[in-house]
Amino acid sequence: MGSSKSDLRSAIYPEPVDHFDNLPDPVLLLVFNKIGDVKTLGKCCAVCARFHSLVPQVDNVVVRVDCVISEDDNDHSSSGSGSGHKSLHSISSLFRLLIKPFLSLTQLISISRNRCNNASSILDDDDNDFDHLEKNCVTHHSPTQVLKNFDEIKLLKIELPSGELGIDEGGLLKWRADFGSTLDNCVILGASSVIQSNNNSTNLVYEQCGGNDGNGETDDGSIPESFYTNGGLKLRVVWTISSLIAASARHYLLQPIISEHRKLESLVLTDVDGQGVLCMNKEQLEELRVKPLSASSASKRTMVPALNMRLWYAPHLELPDGTVLKGATLVAIRPSEQPKKEVVGGDGNWVAGAFEEPYGRAARMLVKRRTYCLEMNSF
Amino acid sequence: MASSSSSSKTGLKKMLTLKSSDGDEFELEESIVIQCQTIKHMVEDGFSLIPLQNVDTKTLTKIIEYMKKHAEKTESNKEEIKNFNKEFVKGSFDDQFELVSAANYLHINGLMDLLCQSIADRINNKSVRAVREIFNISNDYTPDEEEKVRDEHKWAHEGGEFDESLD
Repeated sequence: MGSSKSDLRSAIYPEPVDHFDNLPDPVLLLVFNKIGDVKTLGKCCAVCARFHSLVPQVDNVVVRVDCVISEDDNDHSSSGSGSGHKSLHSISSLFRLLIKPFLSLTQLISISRNRCNNASSILDDDDNDFDHLEKNCVTHHSPTQVLKNFDEIKLLKIELPSGELGIDEGGLLKWRADFGSTLDNCVILGASSVIQSNNNSTNLVYEQCGGNDGNGETDDGSIPESFYTNGGLKLRVVWTISSLIAASARHYLLQPIISEHRKLESLVLTDVDGQGVLCMNKEQLEELRVKPLSASSASKRTMVPALNMRLWYAPHLELPDGTVLKGATLVAIRPSEQPKKEVVGGDGNWVAGAFEEPYGRAARMLVKRRTYCLEMNSF
Repeated sequence: MASSSSSSKTGLKKMLTLKSSDGDEFELEESIVIQCQTIKHMVEDGFSLIPLQNVDTKTLTKIIEYMKKHAEKTESNKEEIKNFNKEFVKGSFDDQFELVSAANYLHINGLMDLLCQSIADRINNKSVRAVREIFNISNDYTPDEEEKVRDEHKWAHEGGEFDESLD
């Protein structure tokens, strides 16, 4: 700390001083680390030479992506169309018995975020997409480019402009997935509809709920028979697969960033809608560096390993704040083969801790109900 | 200023005296003051009168206000602390930067986080010109140099609206 205090100076020279002059570099760096937003940090470089020299040392960065290209935006690009279909085929062959939902799955995973007017960054820096994008956007910069000068990043958060999965109006679908070289675990919370607490006609809610999902059966924690016949189960399978596809596609896109930023300790990929969260911690990032991911043969995403899934269901779940989830479903997913990593154990932790309130509470309530086990092949 | 009434620990409270660079002395409970790492180490070394040559009375008063409030922190008054923090960072820039320097010298991590976040929030989304004006930073680039730096970070300067306001 300099011993010359600004008090005296400002008393003699009333003109304002550069506030940052008195702050040592580590403090200014702390300020930059609190900024996070990569665009603001980029602009800070142009403010003055000192800022420019410090910004590359920032270790906490948030990239807000304006525009994303999806594989299924294949209207303009011939290269994209094949892969989109192939991925669907592989899934439908997995679930031959459930062909019907895959028609809706097409809608679910077809992401149209092609319209990017002032896009300044996109997630995918593949060359094909580049050409494709040039027609729509003035310029674009991939996160890899944007992050090029940041050599010290430890905590990186990337935020997509929206979630990938289209869900029915009033419905709910959230997922959180942890990845290393492949999927470590995934938790999905869905509800066919959400009725907010400010709806005070509680009786009506109960009636609707009984009619749609529960068929008025007594709620003993089991799944009502109708769930298997009225499409309820199919819908949950679609949610699960869609979420896994979205998660594994996100994971695939992160590869170049992970390989270029060796100091990364935490990587989070979220979306503005709060639909999906993909997390990788230090160990998981290290695992991916040592053992590259296996890509799915069909499309640009990480192969999802064979999975064990546990499913909990409640036709009507009323949260303490009064919010009601109809057809509430929680799915906890882990690879069937998971060596070394501890099995189950503190189940409540990773399942219930996956979501922010009030959804964490919903997950904790659902876990107490009867558990249904399912298995899924690798895809 | 609210004083030690909140602390309900039994037994004798160990008191410490902090002395500002202006020579004013402040007597405080040790439990409050040890939020500050620098002082904590001095206490561990047996000091009970702690001279702070880098902190003037005005700044020290603010810092004591912060430490007292945060010593009251419990599970139930999170909202109250949040509001206190919000008010606390509302001072003038001169005061705030004095506080940052002092908090940095005293190693009060919570206060550093609070103040740096407050400064960061003022920078966020602002245009280059606005940042310079708000903080009185003189542009030490030649036009050519600035052009080069802007080009290096092109993505940061295009698209979207930037806040030119100075508040």
